[in-house]
Amino acid sequence: MSNATHERPKNSILAWIDRRYPLVSTWNAHVGEYYAPKNFNFWYFFGSLALLVLVNQFITGIWLTMSYKPSAAEAFNSIEYIMRDVDWGWLIRYMHSTGASAFFIVIYLHMMRGLLYGSYKEPRELVWILGMFIFLVLMAEAFMGYLLPWGQMSYWGAQVIISLFGAIPVIGHDLATWVRGDFIISDATLNRFFALHVIALPLVLIVLVFMHIVALHQVGSNNPDGVEIKKYKNDKGLPIDGIAFHPYYTIKDSMGAIVFLFFFAFVVFYMPEGGGFFLEPPNFEPANPLKTPDHIAPVWYFTPFYAILRAIPDKLMGVIAMGGSIAVLFAMPWLDRCKVKSIRYRGASYKALLTMFVISFLVLGWLGTQPASPELTKLARIFTATYFLFFIILPFTSVSEKTKPVPERVS
Amino acid sequence: MKKLFGLLLFILPFVSVAAVHGVELEKAPINLKDKASLQRGAILFSNYCMACHSIKYMRYNRIARDLGWTDDEIVKKMAYGQAKPVDDVMTRMLPGVDMEVLGTHVPDLSLMARLKGPDYIYTFLKGFEYDKKTKTWDNKVLHGTVMPNVLEGVQRYSTKEQFNQDVADITNFLEYVGEPIKVKRESLGWKVMLFLFIFFIITYLLKKEYWRDIKH
Repeated sequence: MSNATHERPKNSILAWIDRRYPLVSTWNAHVGEYYAPKNFNFWYFFGSLALLVLVNQFITGIWLTMSYKPSAAEAFNSIEYIMRDVDWGWLIRYMHSTGASAFFIVIYLHMMRGLLYGSYKEPRELVWILGMFIFLVLMAEAFMGYLLPWGQMSYWGAQVIISLFGAIPVIGHDLATWVRGDFIISDATLNRFFALHVIALPLVLIVLVFMHIVALHQVGSNNPDGVEIKKYKNDKGLPIDGIAFHPYYTIKDSMGAIVFLFFFAFVVFYMPEGGGFFLEPPNFEPANPLKTPDHIAPVWYFTPFYAILRAIPDKLMGVIAMGGSIAVLFAMPWLDRCKVKSIRYRGASYKALLTMFVISFLVLGWLGTQPASPELTKLARIFTATYFLFFIILPFTSVSEKTKPVPERVS
Repeated sequence: MKKLFGLLLFILPFVSVAAVHGVELEKAPINLKDKASLQRGAILFSNYCMACHSIKYMRYNRIARDLGWTDDEIVKKMAYGQAKPVDDVMTRMLPGVDMEVLGTHVPDLSLMARLKGPDYIYTFLKGFEYDKKTKTWDNKVLHGTVMPNVLEGVQRYSTKEQFNQDVADITNFLEYVGEPIKVKRESLGWKVMLFLFIFFIITYLLKKEYWRDIKH
């Protein structure tokens, strides 16, 4: 940001601080004089909402930690203690459990926005990659958090996922034992998952979120038209189609946050189990290493990837396919070779491919919740194929896509 | 089209999957706000269930507070005057009976309503059938259960309506025990949502005011 536009602070306390810490310039660079395109639509709420949910998870998580006991003998009991005996414990717990699902709803929509408007393209490749790392760490965070209530689904879900390490040749079996800290999921596993869930991963997450935002502010926000607002500046050197993040987007995002909280409150107060998807019924039974549930299903936000894992007959290949289905997203900035960013001006081929991809993702998500049957496995294979087909076809069609003319400025 | 994707992504987790049981579960006619029913259910529970089944996450005085009894009353009604501290958790009355008599672990019922749903409990309690050939009891919901038909006496010596009401009261009580805060949670929810709605209108107007000078 240029220094020409703002004066030295007159307030003496602020001036005192500013001589010792770049408070005013930092605020201006990231909020007060960060110019964002004026044409953000519905899809642009989800970034700020993700930040809101992150804060919700931190605060409710800290308060849960005050009463939760990370031991196999006491974990389940301590959750019920929070639900019944701790003042407002039920609300804090439901806000945290609903927040986990809300996080993924918001993040998936945030990523969808990127796919719609080409937000991963030059010069925003690092914004996308840092975002993908956030997604990856978030999955680890959610997975480890899900073990902590020490219910049947917590236990057996973790058992299934950690045993996947066993599919890796040579070192796999030892690696799984190393991750668990035992030969089965046990007190040792619970303790380390607790440490990772409440300290290690949140720290990584907050650093990545910081970097994600710094990278974004370095290159500037994309918009639904996919045009660069920095191309046209006024005599002050400010983008003509840009508006200051504060107050314009702080007030608009506050509005979005309240709408989000309205739906969030509805779930927390009227359907905290989320129809058995946010809190799975088998998890109201304490973990029992001797009794496998009839049907082990991961929480809904993992089901698309779980369906891909199950679709492949070979365990190692299944693990590779599941890992690949996430890893391939990192390469989006280079797989999509079309110069036009926004779907508004892209050709029919990308629209068709993206539709196929979204349908595949949703159907796989549903399949992952269902018990495996020969018909459903067949279906899962078809949609696993179409999921990957998106990334395989895209580099070829995107080179010679019939695009529409992109406007010079935002519409 | 684009908005449809978002909507689909949002709605997908809410599509509920019906639980699969051998028999169709009967809808339990219960109402958590019916305190008389909950009181009857609590007394029936301590009479017929609590010898073997604990509700260990529940405290006597919590039930007293929620169901409108004094601490003295609940000790009389549910603990039969046993000199127990009123905030005691509700363990079963005959410890060890399960392994000795039934040869199995009897589940704690604190969370049964959340694990299986109230309809399961209601249908299960009504589901005991006497096989005249083998002269044994079985349950149509859970075949081969070792639980005896503890409500046999009630079933035999009262009207069908009375029996259904008794089972409904027990189910209602267990639904309450599963999540004692549920009634309060639901009565608080709409107030929070109303506040957010009013807050939204104010924020919307403020946003409109700020954005007036932005030309599209």
